[in-house]
Amino acid sequence: MYSERVMDHFTNPRNVGDMEDADGVGIEGNPTCGDAMKIYIRVRDGKIVDAKFKTFGCGAAIAVSSMVTEMVKGKTLDEALAISKEAVAQELGGLPPQKMHCSNLGADALKKAIEDYRSKQAK
Amino acid sequence: MKFVENVKPDVITDIVYMMCPMHLLKLQEQIKELDQGQILEIMTDYDGALEDIPSWCEKTGNEFLGVEDSGDFYKFYIKKLAR
Amino acid sequence: MRKCYFDHVATNPVHPDVLEAMIPYFKEEFGNPLSVYEYGARAKNAIESAREKVASLVNAKPAEIIFTSSGAEANNFALRGIALAKQNEGKHVLVSRMEHHSVLNSARFLEKSGFAVTYLPVDKKGFVDPETVKKSITKETTLISVIHASSEVGTIEPLKEIVNVAKEKNIVVHTDAVATTGNIPVDIRDLGVDLLSMAAHQFYGPKGAGALYIKQGLRIVPLIYGGIQESGRRAGTENVPAIVGMGKAAEIAEAEIQKRMDCLLPLRERIIDAMSGVDRVYLTGDRKNRLPGHASFCVEYIEGESMLLLLAAKGIFSASGSACSSKALKASPVLLSMGVPSSLAQGSIVFSLGSGNTSEDIDYLLNEFPAVIKRLREISPYAQGWGDREEGGQECTVKE
Repeated sequence: MYSERVMDHFTNPRNVGDMEDADGVGIEGNPTCGDAMKIYIRVRDGKIVDAKFKTFGCGAAIAVSSMVTEMVKGKTLDEALAISKEAVAQELGGLPPQKMHCSNLGADALKKAIEDYRSKQAK
Repeated sequence: MKFVENVKPDVITDIVYMMCPMHLLKLQEQIKELDQGQILEIMTDYDGALEDIPSWCEKTGNEFLGVEDSGDFYKFYIKKLAR
Repeated sequence: MRKCYFDHVATNPVHPDVLEAMIPYFKEEFGNPLSVYEYGARAKNAIESAREKVASLVNAKPAEIIFTSSGAEANNFALRGIALAKQNEGKHVLVSRMEHHSVLNSARFLEKSGFAVTYLPVDKKGFVDPETVKKSITKETTLISVIHASSEVGTIEPLKEIVNVAKEKNIVVHTDAVATTGNIPVDIRDLGVDLLSMAAHQFYGPKGAGALYIKQGLRIVPLIYGGIQESGRRAGTENVPAIVGMGKAAEIAEAEIQKRMDCLLPLRERIIDAMSGVDRVYLTGDRKNRLPGHASFCVEYIEGESMLLLLAAKGIFSASGSACSSKALKASPVLLSMGVPSSLAQGSIVFSLGSGNTSEDIDYLLNEFPAVIKRLREISPYAQGWGDREEGGQECTVKE
């Protein structure tokens, strides 16, 4: 069902962990539905220098979280916001149609983390 | 069509809802088990039996006594005459 | 790498003697049982001999066994066939919430066709209470369907008591015995049921053969119309090899049933005992009244499909009731009916043992499984508790 790259990111996920004093935190999803992602970002000079995640979910959910946190490193906030669910799925070599909502979750959790950072900055 | 009531059968066979041509196959099978002169009752919902059973009786030399309409299904009465 | 198949409720390998018995019916004995010449006669004899063996397995008369293509077909046949046959007496049917989709969806079809259906609630072990059945019966009730044992949580239902309640009101009882027939003693006279569904591949027969036991004298509307196969109750040229296989499998099952149970029970107990020592892992279903090879759990804070994938990578094959592991992305309705919270139901995992599983397989499982749980909990945001999660209630609002 899953591509080689998805299986790789699932069995060897990158960036698993909590982030003490993260600059932005985004949570998307709901364990009652079966998928929930928490993404942390550290921002320096408008760029995301580090990202971590914790995920409750299926193979696709964990792989997506791992991929998203890899993709954002080194990007500016606006570049990161532009990451779409399709882009994530593509980087993973594709996702089965019924699992595309997982890549949605990843993109949305990232957006929330960036919004969280920006709203903290505004204070 | 001969309609009858209160016929007392010696053997009753219920094949309601079983598909055609079970009404003839079962009839054939059951008649063999009867003694001469005995009456068989066959219960079926199959409308085609109204034509098939009297016709079968004529072909095989058995007596078609009649049918009773029981609402959801028919009761056919056949007297074994043929050997 | 060791390979451990722990998904016997999904399907089973065919017993070698069963395969051997089937092969002639693919090759030189390819006749149609309705044909008048010798090929037909031999094929007919073969299916009648299989019918006797299947009847013997459940203590029925051969004429009471109708072959179908599967357990699902038998379930559809029973539900629709009896409801329609009795619709002038009443149009109310009771089914439990533990039923397989083939019973539930048949019931939903009946609802759309103007029948009333009551879905009987179950307790947290998955038991249907005979008192609940009694209270749900109305003057319109013509059929009750309660599964013999759930393949999801293993719970064996109190069928005899439910039948007693039904008999007081002359109501027909059907049971889906697909998970039990050939694995635990199933005796239709003892249970008192009027209809019973079974499937060959659940007792080491081939897929493509099932049967419905229909008590002699019970009227049933056919599901599949056509020729006169199965005494005018189920049309279609018979799947002779599969039916022969089912017969052989039934014969072997009858001889070996105690041996099967004696073999599986200790293995099951080892898994359940060991997992009771792992933090936040809960057994689902009843501790004692469960299928002899069935060990099912909900593991808190992690999700089922990811457990299955990590276990499969280690050669361990099992199943889950989580939403993500189902093709329809819906969590097991059985677990939810038992009152398992949605988030916990996502952590469902089911090990169903069968022949071929050994003590060494269990050693291997008990070595790998806790490590898988630990790994996934390291990745989960909830490892310290659910506190973090959004208050989304029980409603899932995933957008595509």
